[in-house]
Amino acid sequence: MKPFNLENHPKIKPGFTIPEDYFEQFSEKLLSAIPQEEKPVISIFARKKKWFMAVAAILIFGIMIPFLNKNSNENQNLDSASLENYLAYQSTISPEELVSLLDEKDIDAIETDLNLDDATVESALSGNNYLENYITE
Amino acid sequence: MIKPFGLSLVLLKNKKLLDEQAFIQELLDPKTQNKAFQVLLSSYQKPIYNHIRNIVLNHDDADDVLQNTFIKVFQHLKNFKGESKLFSWLYRIATNEAITFLNAKAKRNGMTSEGFQQKQIENLTADSYFEGDQIQLKLQKAIALLPEKQQLVFKMRYFEEIKYEDLSEILGTSVGALKASYHHAVKKIEEYMTRN
Repeated sequence: MKPFNLENHPKIKPGFTIPEDYFEQFSEKLLSAIPQEEKPVISIFARKKKWFMAVAAILIFGIMIPFLNKNSNENQNLDSASLENYLAYQSTISPEELVSLLDEKDIDAIETDLNLDDATVESALSGNNYLENYITE
Repeated sequence: MIKPFGLSLVLLKNKKLLDEQAFIQELLDPKTQNKAFQVLLSSYQKPIYNHIRNIVLNHDDADDVLQNTFIKVFQHLKNFKGESKLFSWLYRIATNEAITFLNAKAKRNGMTSEGFQQKQIENLTADSYFEGDQIQLKLQKAIALLPEKQQLVFKMRYFEEIKYEDLSEILGTSVGALKASYHHAVKKIEEYMTRN
C-alpha cells in the first residue's frame, strides 16, 4: 500500500458547514447579550462608592449625636447619695463651710425635715452644757 | 523619493502596530467602545468560530463557546495590556474556553475527555452540519487519537494556517517545540491514514 503523505495530498478541509446567516444572527445575539452581562459590573454603588461611604459616615455621626450628649449629661448629673457621701467623708470641708453655703430656704427645708417642736428643742438645749457660753456670746 | 523595500516593510509593520494601539484605545473608551467592539466582532468572529469548531467539532457547542469567548473578551478588555497582539489574545481566550467547555461536558457525561472526543467523532456522520467525505472523516478520526497539545497545533497549523510565531504567542510554547509537535502529529496521522 502506498504510504499516505499529507504534504503531497491536496489540502483536506475540516468538512464542517455553518447554518445560513449564522454570523449575522450571532452578532445581533451577542450585542444584545452584552449590556445584560455588564449591568451588575457598573452598578451605581460601585461607581459612587466614595460618596455613599461619606454619606453613611455623616449619617452615623448624626445619629450618634443625641447619645453622645445624653452620656455626657449623665456624667454631670451625679446622684444625691454619692454627693452626700462625698461631702460627709471629705474631712477638709468643715461644718461651718457647709453652713455658709446654706440659704434661708435650705434652713427652712432642714427644719421641716427634722420636724422640730418646742419640747424637743428645749430638751436638746438643756442637755447642752455650753449653752450659757453661746447665750453670752 | 522611493523608499527601500525593507524600510517600507518596517514602516508598514509599525503602522499596523499603531493602528492596533489606536483600535485598542477605541475599545477601551466608553464613547467609542460599542462601535469598536462591533468592528472587532465582524473581523474576528469567523476565524475564531472556525478555530473553536475545529476543537469542539459540533456547531451548537461552537456557538456556545463563541458567545462565551466574546463576552469574556468584552469583560476583560480593560485588562488587555497590549503586551501581545489582539489577535493572539483572542485566540488564547477562545482556546481556553473551548478546552474548558469540552472537559466540563465530558465530566457531565461521566466520560474522560478522550472518550468524549471519540464519541463526538462517531456523531459526526449523523451531524447535519458535517459534510465531509471519507478522507475528511478519516482525518478527523486520526486527529482525535493525538494528545491534546498535538491536536491543537495540528489543527491550527494545517486547517487554520496560523504562523508558528503567532502559534507560539497563543499557546505560550517555543517555535521549536511547536514545530516538533506538528512533525509528530503529521507522522502519526500519515501512519493512521495509510493503515486505514
